[in-house]
Amino acid sequence: MSQPPMTETRSGMDRSGAITFDRTLRGLTGVAVRGFLLSLVTFGIYRFWYVTELRRYFWNRTVVDGSPAEYSGTGKELFLGFLVAVAILIPVYVLIFVATISAPWLAAFGSLLSFLILFVLGQFAVYRGRRYRASRTLWRGIRLGQDGSAITYALMAIGWSLLTLLTLGLAFPFMRASLERYRINHTLIGSSRMESTARGRSLLLPWLAFYVVVFLPIVGALLAFLVATDFNIPDDLFVPKEGGKPGETEFNSDYDGTPIATFGALLLSTLGITFPLGLLLIPFYRARETRLFMNAASLGSVHLSSTLKARQFYWPYFVYLLSVIGFVLILGLVIGGGGLLLQTQGMESGFHWMLVLGMVFGYLGGALFFAVLYVRVITARLWAAVATTTVVENAGGLDAVLASSRRVGSGLNEGLADALDVGGALEVGF
Amino acid sequence: MPAHAVYGTYSDGLSARAHPVTLVLEDSLEITGQDLRLAWTLADLAAGDTAAPLMRVGPAGRAERVEFTDEALAAALKDRCPDLYRSDPSASGGRLRLVLWSIAAGISVIGLAIYGVPAIAVRLAPVVPAAIEARLGGAVDGQIGKILGDPPVCNDAPARAVLDRLIERMTANGGLPVDPAITVRRHAIANALTLPGGRVVVLSDLIDQSRTPDEFAGVLAHEFGHVAARDPMRALLAASGSSFLLSLVLGDLTGSTILVAVGQAAISAGYSREAENAADTYSVEVMSRSGGDATALATILERIAKDDEKAEFASLLRSHPFTKERANRIRAMAGTETVGRRILDETEWATLKGICRNVPAKTAK
Ligand SMILES: [Zn+2]
Repeated sequence: MSQPPMTETRSGMDRSGAITFDRTLRGLTGVAVRGFLLSLVTFGIYRFWYVTELRRYFWNRTVVDGSPAEYSGTGKELFLGFLVAVAILIPVYVLIFVATISAPWLAAFGSLLSFLILFVLGQFAVYRGRRYRASRTLWRGIRLGQDGSAITYALMAIGWSLLTLLTLGLAFPFMRASLERYRINHTLIGSSRMESTARGRSLLLPWLAFYVVVFLPIVGALLAFLVATDFNIPDDLFVPKEGGKPGETEFNSDYDGTPIATFGALLLSTLGITFPLGLLLIPFYRARETRLFMNAASLGSVHLSSTLKARQFYWPYFVYLLSVIGFVLILGLVIGGGGLLLQTQGMESGFHWMLVLGMVFGYLGGALFFAVLYVRVITARLWAAVATTTVVENAGGLDAVLASSRRVGSGLNEGLADALDVGGALEVGF
Repeated sequence: MPAHAVYGTYSDGLSARAHPVTLVLEDSLEITGQDLRLAWTLADLAAGDTAAPLMRVGPAGRAERVEFTDEALAAALKDRCPDLYRSDPSASGGRLRLVLWSIAAGISVIGLAIYGVPAIAVRLAPVVPAAIEARLGGAVDGQIGKILGDPPVCNDAPARAVLDRLIERMTANGGLPVDPAITVRRHAIANALTLPGGRVVVLSDLIDQSRTPDEFAGVLAHEFGHVAARDPMRALLAASGSSFLLSLVLGDLTGSTILVAVGQAAISAGYSREAENAADTYSVEVMSRSGGDATALATILERIAKDDEKAEFASLLRSHPFTKERANRIRAMAGTETVGRRILDETEWATLKGICRNVPAKTAK
C-alpha cells in the first residue's frame, strides 16, 4: 500500500518535473455553493473567506514535481486589508469630489482625473495583491515572495498605457511583456530570483490578428463610407422621429437608395460582424501570451516549458456559453408558461404572488448556478489547462533553492485591490 | 494493527530538496531517512487540504513537511491527531461565529448609511459654500430635466412678471440663505421640486390644478421652506454618502447591489416627516404675512393626493405621504382669519395661468 522510493526518479539534474492538477474537482461545488450563499447572507463580507478557501483548494491540488503547493493566507488578513484600503480610499474619493466641484476648470476633466487616479491606484493594488499571494504561497516548505516597487509598477503601467493609446494599440504586446518581466524578475522562490525573457516582439503576430479581423475591415468600410459621402457627412442624416420621445431619431428617408445609405449600412454591418469576431479572438491571444510568458520564465537553470493550445482556452468559454443559452431558454419557457397561466387564471388570484416568489427564487437560483458554474468551468478549467500543459525542465535544479529569511509581508497588501475591484474578488490566479 | 513503514518525501523547510524517507506511526510520527531521524508529536501535526491520496503533514507553525500517498496512514493520522485540520475554518465552529459577526457588521453598516449619514449631512449641509451648492444645483437640474424628458420652459412675459412680483412679496424678510430661482416647465405632473442652490422647478400642471392663486402660492411657499432649511443639499449629501458607503463596503460579489439600489431609493424618496412639517410651518407663516390664504396649501394637498390614488403613474408628490395628517396640521396652525383671502387678484391670476402660452401646445397627450 505504499509507493516505491522515488530516489531513482529524483536523481539527475536534467530531468523534467510535471505540473498536475486534480481534474475531478471533488468538493469544489460544495466550496462554491457555501461561499456564494454565505456571501449573500453576510452582505458580501464572507467573500474574503470564500476566496481564501478557493485559493487553498486550487493551490493544494496543483502538484509541482510531485509536491503540492500550499496557500497559507487567511480570510481575516484579506478582510483587515480591505478595511484599511477603505479607510485610505474614502479620503481619496472625497478629495476628487471636492476638487471637481470647487474648481470649475477642473470639472471638465473631473471624470478623466478620477479615472487616472483610480487607474494608477488600481495598478498599484494589482502589484501589491500579487505580492500578498506570493508571500502566502509555499512549496516544499519554501515560501515564495515578491519584491520590487508597486509605485514603479503603476507608473510603468500608466506610461505604457499612454504609449499604447498613442500608437493605436501597437505598443500593447510590448506593454504586456514589459510588465510581465517586471513581475517575474521580482518574484522569488525562497531566496532564488526568477527571471523572465518575455519579448513583446514575439507577441506581435497574435496581437496583429485583432488588426486584421477588427481594425482593417472597419477602417476600410469607414473609408468607403467617407468616399461615398465625398468626405462630407450630411448633418441631416438622422432626423427626430415623428411622434417619438425627445431625443429619439430615425434615418432620414431622403437618403434611401443613395450610396450614402448603402455604404452606411455596410459600415454598420462591418461593425456588427467584426466586434463579435474580435471578442472571439481574445482567448486565442490570451493562450498565446500565457504560453509565451511561461516559456520565458526561469529560475537559474530551471525553466518552464508550456505546450498550451488556444483550443484549451476556448473550450471552457464554449461550455459556459452553452450553459448560459440553455439556462436562458429554460427560463424563457418557464416565464412564458407562467405568463400564459397568469392570463388564464387572472390577476386577482393569489397566483401572481406565487409567480413573484418563483421569480425571486429563480433569480437567486440562477445567480447561484452561474457562480458555481463559473468556478467549475472557467476558473478551474483554465487553471488546469495552464498547469497541466506546463513542465518544469531541469527540475533537479529546484533542490538548490533555499528558504529566505526575509520578513513576510503583511496581509494589508491585497485589500486595496478588492476595494477598487481590480483584483476581482474571485481571482485565484497567480 | 501493526505499524507498517510508508515511503514519503521530507523537506526540511530550509531547502527545496526532497529527502526520501520512511514513515512509521507509533506514539509519534517517526521519520527515518539518510542521516535523518525525526519523531513528530501527533498533537502538533497539521495537514494540508490536498487531494487524496496525496497527503502533506508537518508540525504546525514550522516549515518542515512530509508528503506521502498512503491512504491507511492518512486515515490513521486523521484518527489520532486531534487538530490535524486546524487551519481549515470549516473544521471548527469558527464559521458560524464569522457569519453571525458579518451579518451584525452588515446590519450596522446599513444602519449607519440610513441613520448615521443623514445625521452627518444635517451638520454638513450648512457649511457647504454657496458657489458649490449652486453648481451642484445646476447639475441636478440637468438630471431632473433628462428624467422628465426635457420639458420646455414656460416663460410668457406678462405671466412671468406676475410670478416675479409674487415671489418678491413672498420672499421679502423670509430669511432665505439664497435668492430662489424659479423655473416653470410644461409637464403633466402637478408638482414642484426644490434643488440645491435655491432652484425651484414648478411643473405647469400644478398651476393648472390650482383653483386659487393661494393654492399655488402655498405650495411655492412650502418649497421656499425647503430652501430655507437647505433640505435639498442635505438630501443630496445623505443620498450620495449612503450609496457610496454601501457600494464600497458591500462589494459586488453577490446580489447585494440590489440592496444598494433599494436602499438608495428608500433614502432619496423624500425628506423626512420633520422636514416636511417644518416646510409646512414656513408656508403658513409666509402666506399669512403676504396676504394670502394660509389654508389653501391643505386644500390642494388633499385634492392632488386624491387624484394620485387613481393616477396611472405615480406622482413625484408621493414623497409627501402623510397628506391627511399634514392638512390637519396646516389648518390648525393657520387658524381661520386668513380663509378666503386672495394673494393675487382675478386678472393677475388669469395672466399667470397662461404662463405656458410661449410654448406650443402638445399635439397629443
Ligand atoms: Zn416638501
